[in-house]
Amino acid sequence: MADDMKEKYEYPFEMPTEDMVAMKDGGVDDRPAGVPSSYARGESVSWTPESISEIHALSRLGRYQIRGFNSFNHNLPTFDDLTFVPATMTRLPLEGYREKCDTKTILGGGSGLVENPLELDIPIYIASMSFGALSANAKAALGYGASKVGTLTCTGEGGMLEDERRASKTLVYQMTPSRYMLDLSHLRMADAIELVVGQGAKPGTGGLLLGMKVSERVAGMRSLPMGVDQRSTVRHPDFLGADDMQVKIEELREATEYKVPIFLKMGATRPRYDVAVAAKAGVDVIVVDGAEGGTGASPEFLLNHTGIPTMTAIRAAREALDDCGMSGKVSLVAAGGIRTGTDAAKCLALGADAVMVGTGSLIAMGCNSPRYFESYEALGTEPGKCHHCHTGLCPVGITTQEPELEERIDVPAAAERVARYLTAMTMEMTLLAKACGKSSVHNLEIEDLRALSMEASAFTGVKMAGIDRAFTW
Amino acid sequence: MSEVVVTAGDSPIREVNIEIRARLAEGNSVVVRDTRSRHNLGVGLPAGAKVRFEGSVGYYCGGLNDGAFIEVERNAGWSTGEAMATGEIIVNGYAGMSTGASMRGGLIHVKGDAGPRCGVAMKGGDIIVEGKIGYMSGFMAHAGRIIALSGADEACADSLWGGEVWVAGPVESLGVDSKIIEPEPEEVASVEELLAGRGLGDNSREWQKIVSAQKLWHFESRDASAWLMI
Repeated sequence: MADDMKEKYEYPFEMPTEDMVAMKDGGVDDRPAGVPSSYARGESVSWTPESISEIHALSRLGRYQIRGFNSFNHNLPTFDDLTFVPATMTRLPLEGYREKCDTKTILGGGSGLVENPLELDIPIYIASMSFGALSANAKAALGYGASKVGTLTCTGEGGMLEDERRASKTLVYQMTPSRYMLDLSHLRMADAIELVVGQGAKPGTGGLLLGMKVSERVAGMRSLPMGVDQRSTVRHPDFLGADDMQVKIEELREATEYKVPIFLKMGATRPRYDVAVAAKAGVDVIVVDGAEGGTGASPEFLLNHTGIPTMTAIRAAREALDDCGMSGKVSLVAAGGIRTGTDAAKCLALGADAVMVGTGSLIAMGCNSPRYFESYEALGTEPGKCHHCHTGLCPVGITTQEPELEERIDVPAAAERVARYLTAMTMEMTLLAKACGKSSVHNLEIEDLRALSMEASAFTGVKMAGIDRAFTW
Repeated sequence: MSEVVVTAGDSPIREVNIEIRARLAEGNSVVVRDTRSRHNLGVGLPAGAKVRFEGSVGYYCGGLNDGAFIEVERNAGWSTGEAMATGEIIVNGYAGMSTGASMRGGLIHVKGDAGPRCGVAMKGGDIIVEGKIGYMSGFMAHAGRIIALSGADEACADSLWGGEVWVAGPVESLGVDSKIIEPEPEEVASVEELLAGRGLGDNSREWQKIVSAQKLWHFESRDASAWLMI
């Protein structure tokens, strides 16, 4: 075609030289004009350095990669996409440094069925993390720290550890599909029971504990051979759907003589429907664990690509409870990626009655702290970047079953750090609440928030900053 | 021990169980009448308790049993003896799905057939089924014995961690990661002794003992260094 054109048209001047066409006049040889910089950057939309190395890893391993910690998907909205709009002219603030702000939190009292609802001094508690995923020292430290500030811990799926029961004033016994060391006496020693149908890190998939952490004690509690790569079931052995679960809940109430609340923990996927169904099944407390939820070990792609973000799930869950007339009867707990009291306050404003912190409490104990550098190095990582909970070689002794690593947790010091973290979080929450004119953190409401991004507004129904209208479809 | 009657009827199950517990606490054995296949009858009963349900029961009968002797005159629904720690449960008819789910000890004896996933997630104890066990029986069991005298449905002993499934009669198919092995004579003697003690002695049975093939115990490596590549 080009040749055809040349035949039909001739410039009224001589053909320029190739050097002139290539803009070499005034140029330098090693930096030719007209070569796109993307050639050097290699910016393929699909084949990023990360996706290339992932394929290399998959093609070498022949299986998915596994790791701990939480999602590395940077497309998730964060709590930082929301900001508080404290009282100014239309509302009166409370004196943030002086006036009282109530933080008392009742879980499981709404139905009137339960003899002993949980009464917590603060609206934050320690998330369900198993002995197995965590060392016994870590479990004990969490228990003591939470007890000091009047809140609860949860056993996780590994059964009830005596160290934790001793340490925890209020302890929720988790009943997962695996039913490790399920014991009637443990149920009756618990202050609440939590049925698990999923978790935020990997909704729809059961727990995972690699062999390095299935020590003699862990294996004994779980009736497993030592050192197996334990992959837990996700379906309960004794019921299938929500109607059956209703019968199961009655069984648990019968076994505990209606004394303690029944929690249900779910990964956030379709909370608008799942929460409504769970409420109808008769639970007292619903825990919605968002996609940012942490874990000791998970197939990596599930961490990054399943579930919906915590802040989006809270609104849907609250609206579901409102629609069913179950707000006030069923308590709503939010979890997943909650770092600070500010995040927690945003959760309450979005509609949660309480929040659960897991990874945050581990970081408070010393996870990723700059110590024992050689242990981080052995894992090929460094403080601040470690996510190797799955290996059982936690440099600071939290997610391990190795005795010499576990000794790195000083239980009293770790407990005190947990207590101070929870206290500081609570202070952040009350200061924000008072700035918004609220004498209880539970009075925080969606009107106290504004969205800094269209996505955050669209996800949550929070009004856009400035324009004061929610993004509508 | 005198025997007292509790009537289930259409009373709230909570009241029925409170009455059962109260009568037991007085030192009686209890007969429950008009059971109407109600769910959650006799949950979490203590050691020494003796309860007989006249008729059929629904789900979770004898669930979380902590040592009671429980007899069901006719059929039982799902999850009979779920999470039992110790004790004995006899079902004279058929038992539904998930009989003995996650039980840790004690004995369940079903005289008819048992439904699917019998002994699922079981952690100990014995289940005897005189009839056939349903599909995926023993799914992900950790320990204990399931003994079926009249065969097993498909995917028998699927994904066992541990424990044993003993089947006399045809096994329609084995589940994932399970295998049939030749039992040791003393193991056969132990099973036959248990059966003989219950009037089921018969030394002519040809047993198939199914255990974990242990291929799903591990990913391809036990070495921690294999998991450090991320």
